[in-house]
Amino acid sequence: MRTSRFRRGLALFWWLIVAFLYLPLAVIVFYSFNAANSAAYFAGFSLRWYQRLAHNDQLLGALSNSLILGIASSLIALIVGTLIGYGLYRHRARRLGWLIVLIYLPIVMPDIVFGISEMTFFVTLERHFGVLGPSLLTMIIAHVTFQLPFVALIVYSRFVGLDPTLFEAAKDLYASPWQRARHFLLPTLKPSLIAAFFLSFTLSVDDFVISFFTAGPENATLPIYIWGAIRRGVSPEINAIATLMIATVMLAAILSLLFNRRDRPGRDS
Amino acid sequence: MAESPFPLAAHSRSISPDTRHLLWSIAPGAIWIVIFLVLPSLYLIGVAFMTNGAYGQPQMPLTLDAFRQLAGFGFLGWSPGNLYTLLRSLWQTVVATGLVILIAYPLAYYISTCREKWRAIMLLAVVVPSWTNQVIRAFGWMNLLSPGTPMAETAQFLGLIPPNMGLYPSNFAVTLGLIYNFLPFMVLPLYAAFEKLDLSLVEAARDLYASPVSAFRHAVFPQTLAGLLAGTVLVSIPAFGMYVVPELLGGGRAMMLGNLVANQFAGGSNWPLGAAGALIMLLATLGGLYAMRKVGKRLGGGEEVVI
Repeated sequence: MRTSRFRRGLALFWWLIVAFLYLPLAVIVFYSFNAANSAAYFAGFSLRWYQRLAHNDQLLGALSNSLILGIASSLIALIVGTLIGYGLYRHRARRLGWLIVLIYLPIVMPDIVFGISEMTFFVTLERHFGVLGPSLLTMIIAHVTFQLPFVALIVYSRFVGLDPTLFEAAKDLYASPWQRARHFLLPTLKPSLIAAFFLSFTLSVDDFVISFFTAGPENATLPIYIWGAIRRGVSPEINAIATLMIATVMLAAILSLLFNRRDRPGRDS
Repeated sequence: MAESPFPLAAHSRSISPDTRHLLWSIAPGAIWIVIFLVLPSLYLIGVAFMTNGAYGQPQMPLTLDAFRQLAGFGFLGWSPGNLYTLLRSLWQTVVATGLVILIAYPLAYYISTCREKWRAIMLLAVVVPSWTNQVIRAFGWMNLLSPGTPMAETAQFLGLIPPNMGLYPSNFAVTLGLIYNFLPFMVLPLYAAFEKLDLSLVEAARDLYASPVSAFRHAVFPQTLAGLLAGTVLVSIPAFGMYVVPELLGGGRAMMLGNLVANQFAGGSNWPLGAAGALIMLLATLGGLYAMRKVGKRLGGGEEVVI
């Protein structure tokens, strides 16, 4: 009796927290369909803010910046990070403590310190040597820097999960390094590489602070554009863009749930 | 931190194939991080000790001016503004982390006791909001807390805020925003701890006539401590350096260290002061990690989750 009341209390608490987590998002979605230019009352259903989005060149530019940045940085991070993950695994017997510290550095550093040190560095380089002034290139460099550790750790943990004798087997069969990479490493790594790419891409598109400080005036990404719009004074168009971004995330969540279901029934890590 | 990035270069007489393999696999990434993160942060640390030039650009003689300014000593004598900002950052971090623990602990326990097929969905439900951009999340709270909304009117009705005001910008809104942002970071490690919980210990405690409270204290709580520590690191470090939430939900009187730092660069006013603030933040981060590692080691376990 007591336990069941306890559990019912917990269930109630759970739903309250779910409401707390989704309310701010729900409000944005709700008002994006508001016919009136207000966040205080709802004047009827309308799609006018969405229609305006399609003609907003600044916004479309920001979207394309976000996509270019996300794809370019993820590809570079994928290549360099995979190499680190592989090296870490192959040489795990050596004392690589310094490397672990180096790899964790981008993860533990607060965003704002990260962004500002990149900015001061790039601005100073530009002033003294005329290279690497804030631009899409500096943003790509900064993004690769924080994506690298995640790729390396994903790839490394995939290797650790493998049977070490597989490597010996490939060698025993006289596979050349190239053949080993082509027929053994790449196929076994493929799921992790795909996961690492998507994680990097998500981190990049989601990032605001580091982009904000490394961007030139022409390189606003979607979050930077939204930030600017909020600071200039709220326009209901922001609700519409934000709704589209929330919808993308929800779609990704549903897809990841379906994929996890298919890959390993039962539990998720 | 990385004092000697390349200890291998020391004995380069004859490089074995194994070492060559290590070099080509690891060097590109290691060099990348050294050039694009270690060097810039070292430069930033250097800037903290430089003189503020005409346009906020750092200049040569090395001084401790920036730290003096951070402590409140300016041209007009001493003012506590910057110190308040520092203390406020600490206070917000402690309060938000504490509240996040209070919310996440029962939540993670509840998820771990639900049916297995639901758990993944429930965890996902907790995490998904944090996948949306943090600017959008803060904007959602701006919508909810602004004047004229049901929440603001309820607060007015209860006499918590003056009429016709909103609940933001305020310190309250910043705390709320921090909790909202970092709740998943606490739920996940705690859930991992609860999932591994050895229930036979709890049964043994109950068999020995332990009250529910002491059974919890002696049989449950120690087993979840590693998760709690990991969560505390994951929440408190980014919370201390938070920029977006206090900027959007806080306004001038709820400023945190991140905003103080950013303002020195955005307005181009004072790089050394901003760098000094960033250095404090960096030290706090390293100190926090170190302390957690120490505590985690003493408790046994916990280490693998921290680093």
